[in-house]
Amino acid sequence: MKTVYICSDTVTGIFSGIYDAWKSGKHEQDCGIALLGAVEQELFCDYVEVEESERKAQAVELMIRKHMGMRAYWDIFHAVLSPDRDKGNAILGTMMAARKLADGTKIMDHLSHPMVEKVFELSRTVAGEAHLLKGFLRFQELENGILYAQITPKAQVLSCLAPHFEDRLPNENWMIHDKNHQMFAVHEKGKHWVLVLDEYWREDRVQLISEKEKEYAQLWKNFCQTIAIQSRMNPRCQMQHLPLRFRPNMTEFRDTSDVRV
Amino acid sequence: MFLRKEGEDMRIQEAKSMYDKLQILTDAAKYDVACTSSGTARRGDGTGMGNCEQSGICHSFSADGRCISLLKILFTNECIYDCKYCVNRRSNDVERTSFTPDEVCTLTMEFYRRNYIEGLFLSSGILKSPDYTMELLYATLWKLRKEYNFQGYIHVKAIPGASQELVQRIGFLADRMSVNLELPTAESLRLLAPHKTRKNILTPMRLVQNLASENRQKIQLYRNAPRFVPAGQSTQMIIGATPETDYQIIRVAESMYQKFELKRVFYSAFVPVNEDVCLPAGTGEGPPLLREHRLYQADWLLRYYHFQAEELLSEENPNFNVLFDPKCNWALKHLEQFPVEVNRDDYKMLLRVPGIGYKSAGRIVRARKLGTLDFADLKKFGVVLKRALYFITCNGKMMYPTRMDEDYISRNLLNTGERLPDSVTQAGYRQLSLFDDVRFGGGLR
Repeated sequence: MKTVYICSDTVTGIFSGIYDAWKSGKHEQDCGIALLGAVEQELFCDYVEVEESERKAQAVELMIRKHMGMRAYWDIFHAVLSPDRDKGNAILGTMMAARKLADGTKIMDHLSHPMVEKVFELSRTVAGEAHLLKGFLRFQELENGILYAQITPKAQVLSCLAPHFEDRLPNENWMIHDKNHQMFAVHEKGKHWVLVLDEYWREDRVQLISEKEKEYAQLWKNFCQTIAIQSRMNPRCQMQHLPLRFRPNMTEFRDTSDVRV
Repeated sequence: MFLRKEGEDMRIQEAKSMYDKLQILTDAAKYDVACTSSGTARRGDGTGMGNCEQSGICHSFSADGRCISLLKILFTNECIYDCKYCVNRRSNDVERTSFTPDEVCTLTMEFYRRNYIEGLFLSSGILKSPDYTMELLYATLWKLRKEYNFQGYIHVKAIPGASQELVQRIGFLADRMSVNLELPTAESLRLLAPHKTRKNILTPMRLVQNLASENRQKIQLYRNAPRFVPAGQSTQMIIGATPETDYQIIRVAESMYQKFELKRVFYSAFVPVNEDVCLPAGTGEGPPLLREHRLYQADWLLRYYHFQAEELLSEENPNFNVLFDPKCNWALKHLEQFPVEVNRDDYKMLLRVPGIGYKSAGRIVRARKLGTLDFADLKKFGVVLKRALYFITCNGKMMYPTRMDEDYISRNLLNTGERLPDSVTQAGYRQLSLFDDVRFGGGLR
C-alpha cells in the first residue's frame, strides 16, 4: 500500500519527509510527499505525519550533495522553495532516478525523465524570480537608518536573496520582508543574516522613513522618467520585462504625491 | 541664487539643484544604448559596498521598454564638438550643467544602497579638451573607488583623443570601457561628426585591447594583480542616419568582434533630435526599430551561434528580411541542410535550427546521452516547436507531414504568425508589406 508522508512547507519539513520516505525503502510509486494543509486524499493510502528535525534534513542535504553533486543540489534547493504542491514528490522521484544512473551527478541532464524535468522546471522558475528580485527589490531608509524592503514573491526566495545582499551591503543594517510568507531576512552590520519567521510585527515601525529617503526617491523617480526616449515608447515591452505584480513594491512606480524636494 | 560680475554686464545665474542637474544630465545621456552590467563576477571584500554578478542585473525598465541597470549620466553636457546627430552639440541651445565628482559619488552610493542601480555609467561631453575631460572622469572614479569604497559595476566612456596614460589609469578603476564608433563608416563620420575621425576612435580601442591582453597574462602570474576592464570593452553605432546597408553594418560589427575582441556592439536606431541638412529628413515614421531589432538578432547569431556575416547577407542581398528573422531566413535559403535529427546531429547544426536557442541546444545534447528524445521533451526544453517543426526530426520522424519547400514553409510560418517583436508593432512602426524597403523612407536630402 502507498504511504504518503505529510510535512510542513519548509526546507526542514520537506527534507525530513524525504528522509522518512527514503528510509522506508519503498518503491517510487509506493510513497509520496504531501504538504501539510494541502493533502489530496486518495484511496488505499496510508497517511503518516512526519516528525521533522534538523538532523534528518541535514542528512538528506548531505546525501544529495555527495551523490548528486552541487549542481543537482542547487536545483533541488530552489525547487524546495517553490509554491508548487507536488515539489516533494518531484524531488523524491529525482533522487530515486539518480540512484539508477551510473553517474548520479549527471541527473539534471536527464530531462526526459518526468520527475527530473519537473524539478528542473521548478528550479528554473524559482531561480528566475529570485534573480528578478535581486534587481527589483527596493530598500527604503527608515528614520533609524535601517534599510527596509518589502517583497511579495510567489516562491520563498528570501534564502536566495539574503546572501546576495549580505555580500553587497555588508556594512548596513537591513531587513527584507516577505509579505506573502510572513518571513524576514535580517542583517545586522558586519554579521551574518538570519531568517526570522512570522513573529510579532509592527507595521507602524516601518512607516517612518528618513528625510533623505524622500529626496532620493524623488531623484530616482525623475531619473526613471527622464531616461525613457519619447519616440520609442513601448509600455507592452516594459510590461513583459517588468510584470505588474512587482511594481507596488518599487519606488519608481509607487505613487507618492510628495512635492518636489 | 548668486550674482556674478563679468566685466560691465551683470549676469544672473541660478545655482542648479541636484534635482535639475540630474534631470539635465540624464536627459543628455539617454541616447546612449548600453546599460548592461554583465561580464564581471566580483564579491565584496566586506569593507565597502557593492559586488558584481556575472550575468548582470536589470533593476528597472523605463517606459520605452529599455532596461535600467546603471545610473546612466553625463558628467557634463557642455561640449566643444559639433556632431550633427547629437543633442549636446555645441551649436544647440540647451541648458548646460556639470556635476562635481563628489555629487556623482554621493548619487551613486545612495542609489546603490537602496538597490536602485547596479552601478554607474559615466559618459561626458568634451569640456575644454579630451584630456581635461578624461581627467575629470578619472578623478570621479578614483574618488568613488578609493574614498567611497564602491565595489559595484562601473562603465566609463573613453574619450577619443585622450592620452594613452589616462586611458590606462581609468581602465584599472572601471569594469567596462567603451569608445563609440558613432557611425558605421569613416565617410559617414566625416560627414556628421566633423571633429571626430575614425583613427581617433580606433586608437583607444586598440589600446584597451592591448592593455587588456597584457593584463590577462599578468593575472595568470599574479593572481591578485589589479584588473584592467575585466568586463571588456563595447561600442555602439547609430543606425539609419547614414545610407549604409545592413550588410556593411554587420561586417563592421564582425570585424569589431574579431579584430578588436569587443564584448558587445550596440546599435541605436537613429532618433532625430536636430535638424540638419546632412541628416535624413524626418519622415514621421519614428526610429527604424525593426531594422535595429534585426541587427541585434544577427549580432547574436555572430556571437553565440557560429554564423559568419557572409552567410546572413551579401552584396546582392544587403538588407535583412522584414518578415523573417535572420536565422529563419538563412534556414529557408538552405533547406538542403535540413531536416536535422535531434537525437544525433551535432550541436553546431542544432544551433542553426530556427526555434532552437543555444540554451535548449545545450539541454538537448546533454539529455540525449541519457535517453532518446521526442517532440514533447523538446517542448519542455524550451524549443519553439511551431517554428522548429519544419526543420527537425525526432528518431527519423517529423512532427507533422510537411514538405521541404521554401514557399510552403514560408507560407506556414507566416500563417502561425511569425511574430514581429513588440518593440516594433507597439512603437507605431508602419504597416509592413512585402515590398517595403527596410531603410528609412527619406534617404539623404
